[in-house]
Amino acid sequence: MPLVDIDLIIGGPQGGGIDSAAQIVIRAFSIAGYEAFGIREYYSNIKGRHSYFHVRVKETPVRSLRYPVDLLVCLDAESPFVHMEDVSDKTIVLYDEDLMNTKIEQVLTMESETKKHVLDKLKEGGFGTTIAGTIDFMKKRGAIPYPVSFRNLVVGALGPNKPPARYANTLGASLAMALMGLPAEFTSRGIESVFGKKKEVLEDNEKIVKSGYEFVKSHNNLNIKELPVREAKERYILTGNEAIGIGKVIGGLKLQTYYPITPAADESFFLEGHDYFEPVMGEDIDKENEVLKNASVVVVQAEDEIAAIAMAISGAMTGTRTATGTSGPGFSLMAEALGYAGINEVPVVVTLYQRGGPSTGLPTRNSQADLMFAINAGHGEFARIVYSSGDVPEAIDDAVRVFNYAEKFQVPVIHILDKNFANSFFLVDPLDYSKIKIERWKLSENTENFERFKLTEDGISPMGMFGKNIIWLTGDEHSELGHITEDPETRDAMMVKRMGKLNTILKEIPEDEQVELIGDKNADVTLLSWGSNTGVILSVFEKLRTEGVKANLVYVKLMNPFPSKLVSKYLSTAKVLIDLENNYTAQLATLVKQNCGIEVKNFILKYNGRHTTDDEVYEGIKRVLDKKENRVVMIRGA
Amino acid sequence: MAHNYRTDLWVDWCPGCGDFGILAALQQSMTEMNKKPEDFAIFSGIGCSAKTPHYINAPGMHTLHGRVIPFASGVKLANPNLTVIADGGDGDLLSIGAGHFVAAGRRNVDMTIIIHNNGVYGLTKGQASPTLARGEKTKGLQRPNILDSLNPVALALTVGYTFVARAFSFDVKNTKDIIMKAVKHRGTSVIDLLQPCPTYNDINTKEWYEQRVYYLDKDPSWDPVVKEATSEASEQKYLQAIQKSLEWGDKIPLGVLYQNDLVPSFGDRIADHITNYFEVPPALSPIINSEGQPVARMEKIFTDRLIKR
Repeated sequence: MPLVDIDLIIGGPQGGGIDSAAQIVIRAFSIAGYEAFGIREYYSNIKGRHSYFHVRVKETPVRSLRYPVDLLVCLDAESPFVHMEDVSDKTIVLYDEDLMNTKIEQVLTMESETKKHVLDKLKEGGFGTTIAGTIDFMKKRGAIPYPVSFRNLVVGALGPNKPPARYANTLGASLAMALMGLPAEFTSRGIESVFGKKKEVLEDNEKIVKSGYEFVKSHNNLNIKELPVREAKERYILTGNEAIGIGKVIGGLKLQTYYPITPAADESFFLEGHDYFEPVMGEDIDKENEVLKNASVVVVQAEDEIAAIAMAISGAMTGTRTATGTSGPGFSLMAEALGYAGINEVPVVVTLYQRGGPSTGLPTRNSQADLMFAINAGHGEFARIVYSSGDVPEAIDDAVRVFNYAEKFQVPVIHILDKNFANSFFLVDPLDYSKIKIERWKLSENTENFERFKLTEDGISPMGMFGKNIIWLTGDEHSELGHITEDPETRDAMMVKRMGKLNTILKEIPEDEQVELIGDKNADVTLLSWGSNTGVILSVFEKLRTEGVKANLVYVKLMNPFPSKLVSKYLSTAKVLIDLENNYTAQLATLVKQNCGIEVKNFILKYNGRHTTDDEVYEGIKRVLDKKENRVVMIRGA
Repeated sequence: MAHNYRTDLWVDWCPGCGDFGILAALQQSMTEMNKKPEDFAIFSGIGCSAKTPHYINAPGMHTLHGRVIPFASGVKLANPNLTVIADGGDGDLLSIGAGHFVAAGRRNVDMTIIIHNNGVYGLTKGQASPTLARGEKTKGLQRPNILDSLNPVALALTVGYTFVARAFSFDVKNTKDIIMKAVKHRGTSVIDLLQPCPTYNDINTKEWYEQRVYYLDKDPSWDPVVKEATSEASEQKYLQAIQKSLEWGDKIPLGVLYQNDLVPSFGDRIADHITNYFEVPPALSPIINSEGQPVARMEKIFTDRLIKR
């Protein structure tokens, strides 16, 4: 058993510095040599509504979260109400004692539906309907209340002229870390790492840290032990959005187009902040060419998603690595242009961050319900690649990979991700460049009559480019030159050429990039899954192993063309097969049935928009194995 | 030998179509510009006018209905060295693609937009387009048009186009001259190109236009060019152009209505920040170095995400 394995939630108002508080925690623990992982949950709102960060700290690599948490830090009045079921035996509940008598009706930020659900539970247990009532509720579950007057501590530390609300996040983080036993020095360094070295900010925060730690020291009824400091490595702190941005830039992205949409826009915003840089050109070029001393990524905010993908498509036809990033509603608008990229065999990358649908759905919450749509979007039939990534380290490599696929096979690539991935925080080692390879298109000499759509054995023609070749593109069916034709024989040949690429793709992409079998070959239970659930599933496998249950995971990354043979091979030996996804209809299982003829009969699904956690996956597997339930719906998360 | 800008395809427009004049003017202007054919990128949307790129022996992209502007913009952004011309129908640019038409005025990408303005959707049998006046009943319509028409010139002016002109496709020489000026302008130029549809628009015919059009530059006092980068200077020329744009009916002015070369193009605005944008544009920027490694490095670019100790 690891010495340290702490889950905590920091809850507070949107815009109240919850992000910074979580950053402080993750950075401080990283500096002290620990591993950390977190996910941000928030409303579609700028200021005021409840948001929270769920973080886990361990000595060993961590990429999943679990309930109940060990520490609940309530920075607003809503937190105790909405998280009262996230606690259990020994959970420390840190809350503002000045808010003790706040009634649920007074919490204006809370949605009436949520209020009703909370009220029902409080009344059912005979608890009061104030924060004091929730504290009693949590106490009954074994939680340990830890009341603090935020106001008194801030005023005590900084005097009466500083607004206490502004310091709630650093105070909350300091108290939390004092309660977890992290030496104060690391908390200070974590704060410095987040806010920089501005003198006034540092001085104020230092006083806050001191007062938080002193408070915990003088109210140490919990027998807190100081954590040992470990050897720290150099780490990057990255969200999923940022990992994709980094992978794209390393992979040679030169033009990114987008229209603002959650949860995709953070990637483009991040790119805008890193769009002009010093490249490593190699000795010769450095000396020769002054103008190459700086490189760039042009990031363009388009007027809508249709324009975004149109610009990316035509930009790609200049030989530029171009991409666009979006989410469900924007991707819906891109469908027609995607077909244009298909018939014109354009190497363009669409990064698709799934969120709760349909329509506007749950704009800031998680979902994996756009898999079938990504595979089928656009009318007619054309070759495309749909490729999935599940966590930050693999996403950096994959973002390079998808450019290679796009150019090598001259097809549009949809890189499908999800909100959990986008808003998760990972600690990442410096990049291993030996794993990164850039592969580009097949080229040919410029000839008099350049055949951009030349019929070839593998379906791939020499890449023609604006600025280099005289080429024609058209959304109509076309000749090898690219002129409109309705000739039936040419139509047949072009359909075979384009659709035949799907076989070329399956043949040429290495098997381990298509699908991975992770875990025991001889497993008692086999999970089928994709995307951001991987980390959770593998974490649960560790627990199952301690109970003598051997498990493995068929982790699919290439969704189209579907690696039917490989997946069939991996699934054929499964004793108990369970499909786990964040959607209602089990879309990956449907794909498996369609492509492999294998019918998955057990499902663990989640579609409430909140992140999947260890406890519910464990419980789901147990219910399938022990109680023979075949459809478990996971419902955790505030 | 000069490059031949004609392809050997049969041009399948109806006899007497105004598009022939636009095609001829484009080909002549491209020859006169004295560039390599690979220096051009010709774009179109959907419809009769959209076949234009296929008839021009230079790189071309026949795109989607309404989307010619963003497709054309993408190539120009990736490779600003190219000369970009976007042909669209009036329905294409002013109805389904109206949002892009408005956005393009604000962006001012250095390219030329040609509105093939014939008042009808020809290829789908003559429905009313946004430039057909209310109450008009062309022969393809069941009843008179019940929608008001919009004024492409006034719209272009109000959304910020920096070069706005009108031409008549049966005057090929004048159309060619206007295209040359439009391409030379650094920024987005738009030409409202009056182009009769002999099959479906029996109201705004060649003869109808010939009786009405006149040339602004015949009047020596007509000067559409903004001379100073002040709001007063541009406002005076702008108001003059708006006033001219309202002339329609008995007299229809042709020529350059407004030209402001003092507004930075979108490329110039990018180069304010990315200073070597024109020298090393996206399309020409290396992504692999002499050792076969990526030129972009995490430890050089993303240091702000490295946890400082």
